[in-house]
Amino acid sequence: MSDVILQATGLHKSYQLGKVSLKVLKGVSLTLQRGEFVAIMGASGSGKSTLLHLLGALDIPDAGTVRFEGRDIFAGGSRARDRLRNATFGFVFQFYHLLPELTVLENTLLPCMVGNSVWSWFSRRHALRRQATEMLERMGLKERLRHRPNELSGGERQRVAIARALANRPRVLLADEPTGNLDAATGREILSVLKSLNEEGQTIVMVTHDPLVAASAHRIVSLVDGRIAARQEAPKAP
Amino acid sequence: MYKLFLCLRYLYKRRIVFFAVGAVCLCVMMVLIVISVMGGFLNMVKDRSRGMLGDLIVESTTLQGFPFYEEFIARLKAEMPDEIHEATPVIITFGTLRFPRNGMTKPVQVVGIDLEETYRVNDFKEGLFYEKYYPGTTHFERQQEPYLGLTKDGQIALPPELEAARRRWEANASPQEIADAWRDQRLLLEVEADDLPKELNRGRIPAGLKRAFENRLFQLPDKVEVAVAKKGKKWLLRHAYGVNTIQRDGDKLKVYYSAYTGPGYFAEPESPLSREGPGWQGRPLPGVILGTDLCAERLRTGGYARYCRRGEMVALAVIPFNPKGGFQEGTGFLTMPLRYVDDCRTGVYDIDSMSVYVSFEQLQDIVNMTAFVPDDRDLDELASEPEGAAATRPSGPAVPARTTQVQIKLKPTVDTRDKVMAARNRVQAIWERVSSEGLAALRDAPNVLDRIEGPVSWVKVQTWEEKQARYIGAVEKEKYLVTILFAVISVVAVFLVGVIFYMIVQQKTRDIGIIKSVGATSLGVAGIFLSYGAAVGVVGGAFGTALGTVFVWYINEIQDLLVWISPSAQVWNPEVYAFDRIPSEVNPSDAIGIYIAAILASVAGALIAAWKASKVWPVEALRYE
Repeated sequence: MSDVILQATGLHKSYQLGKVSLKVLKGVSLTLQRGEFVAIMGASGSGKSTLLHLLGALDIPDAGTVRFEGRDIFAGGSRARDRLRNATFGFVFQFYHLLPELTVLENTLLPCMVGNSVWSWFSRRHALRRQATEMLERMGLKERLRHRPNELSGGERQRVAIARALANRPRVLLADEPTGNLDAATGREILSVLKSLNEEGQTIVMVTHDPLVAASAHRIVSLVDGRIAARQEAPKAP
Repeated sequence: MYKLFLCLRYLYKRRIVFFAVGAVCLCVMMVLIVISVMGGFLNMVKDRSRGMLGDLIVESTTLQGFPFYEEFIARLKAEMPDEIHEATPVIITFGTLRFPRNGMTKPVQVVGIDLEETYRVNDFKEGLFYEKYYPGTTHFERQQEPYLGLTKDGQIALPPELEAARRRWEANASPQEIADAWRDQRLLLEVEADDLPKELNRGRIPAGLKRAFENRLFQLPDKVEVAVAKKGKKWLLRHAYGVNTIQRDGDKLKVYYSAYTGPGYFAEPESPLSREGPGWQGRPLPGVILGTDLCAERLRTGGYARYCRRGEMVALAVIPFNPKGGFQEGTGFLTMPLRYVDDCRTGVYDIDSMSVYVSFEQLQDIVNMTAFVPDDRDLDELASEPEGAAATRPSGPAVPARTTQVQIKLKPTVDTRDKVMAARNRVQAIWERVSSEGLAALRDAPNVLDRIEGPVSWVKVQTWEEKQARYIGAVEKEKYLVTILFAVISVVAVFLVGVIFYMIVQQKTRDIGIIKSVGATSLGVAGIFLSYGAAVGVVGGAFGTALGTVFVWYINEIQDLLVWISPSAQVWNPEVYAFDRIPSEVNPSDAIGIYIAAILASVAGALIAAWKASKVWPVEALRYE
């Protein structure tokens, strides 16, 4: 349980805001072990979401590399990144980002639909649907399969988003402020879901600004002004 | 997979797309209707042109015509038995037609035909009116005028020959056709109803009704045979002359009369009380067939009101030309009295309002196109000749008889354009052989050759399409022009699809980001919107094709409805257009073509939106709620 799954080295990223170039990441390096639960902390604007996006191949760095199991994820062009996002990484966002026209089950199946052609979808659809249903049942959404996102509470929506992120059995789950939009009790529920997933071996990277939330992780990485400030082991949960 | 799934889901979840579907539907419908009506019109024009002319036409467009046609036709039938069904000579010249009854005179095109051969060469017979209802009675022989009269059992009837002919038609006609033919009922008067039905039952005519009749055309006998309520709500009242129908309309009774309600317009006896039987009157004269618009008024319904009685005398005047195109010495217009036996409707107004058809032999004779021995003696020589029967006829070879056209009907086996063209070329070759042989035989008669060499050289062999090319070409161009015009208008729908899709992409930027974040490629996202566009085309096109087809099928009923609402809404005026009904058939290949074009146009409309969607950067799209 100590092999490196994801390794970022010297990541630089800047955004163009009008005429001003805003440097968000100024040389971030980070190593992630398989089965680890890492929290990235920092004030807003510290670049923690940008780092998460780079780790998950959702964005491209100005300089630096990210290696997944030793391979550079930015080497293969956009098609290769699309495939990584589809099968290797799973994203959970602060604002859930579910498609309002689709039901809970359909939202969960979206990565499977993206990953399969029409023919392979039709040959595998029963298995995929059963798998997604099991995932949603595990998230406690057994009664909600046919509901639309706007009929769900925030916590339920986030659980659907987690189910969707896990649909293709990703190697790394990337969560961007998963509890940021929820009340404390619901946030705790989501955290316990993440923790139990981690206990089953899921590698998780979570971005948060809340130290209480970050406390659930094995390890906390603090970002200050685009650089990693300190590393510390998370206090063991009581 | 997600492309198909999402585009279908968006199709019925995003209501705004219905506008795009509606626009595509309307445009498809519009273009389909235009193409179908114009294409139908074109086909009708082609059909009629061919129906009028036969398949091949050998003609000299001059008035003096060309010789050797008899040998030519004989040779055609002998050498091309597998291709030629029938060939018939036709003389076309100009003249005037006078209706002595009212003194009306009209300029006409005089067509000399052999009736039986013409029936076989083209669709002339289908256009005849009396020949349809009284089959076998139309001919160019000398004949009298038929008049109506009472049979022994009190029925109004035509002479037995015509009645028998009509029964022959009735035996083969459908009940609807018979009902349509018997419709010429005229309202005579309206009277107060009172207790008329009861009196009618007793077989008496009430005093009020009788007085009303007396003041009008008839004097009614006291006793009448009455058949009551046998035909729905109609009261039938039979009296001395004709059949009257009495219909109750509220507290009014409407009395209809018709001298003869069968098809056609015939002479009637002078007195309605005459007990005379039907018969024939006047001196026997050759028959003439008139273009329907010459002797009848076209009604808005598409039918005709004839104002010339069958067998009525008309006077036709023509000018004889000699073979060199000059007037025949000592002749001007030659007038011949004829009896109107029938009228022919080809469906082309220019022809039906101008044409008069007479017997080929008679016309050939009167316009001096029969064979004759030229007389080149000068006046001094003629003056020294003895008068009267002792005068010597000029001797020597004769100038052959002439015609202006030979119409040829090909066998049905000559069905492709290439075969028709090959047949045309063979006909051309035969004509050249026949004419050069004919001219060679007259080598020793310079006075004859001098008269026919010119006419022989002016003969052209054409297919019906070549002869009508200018007119058909104009209609074809009109069809293309109007189709292009409406297709250009339909481009508006492409823009509408474009605008609506652009709006959707604008609204859905975040969703596009989500789809990309789970691994969809840019091409895949563009594919969603392109297939979305195609789906709009498929659905809109399907509705448009269906609605357009139904519209075209019922286009005449729709026009009838519009006319019923407001008479000025008659778009298709049968008085103007050659055809009564708007063409109402949809060509499946047109429909499929338009459908495919609609799908492609919708995809094209979605292009910009799809490109924009593919450019969405997921990080930007997902940053905020």
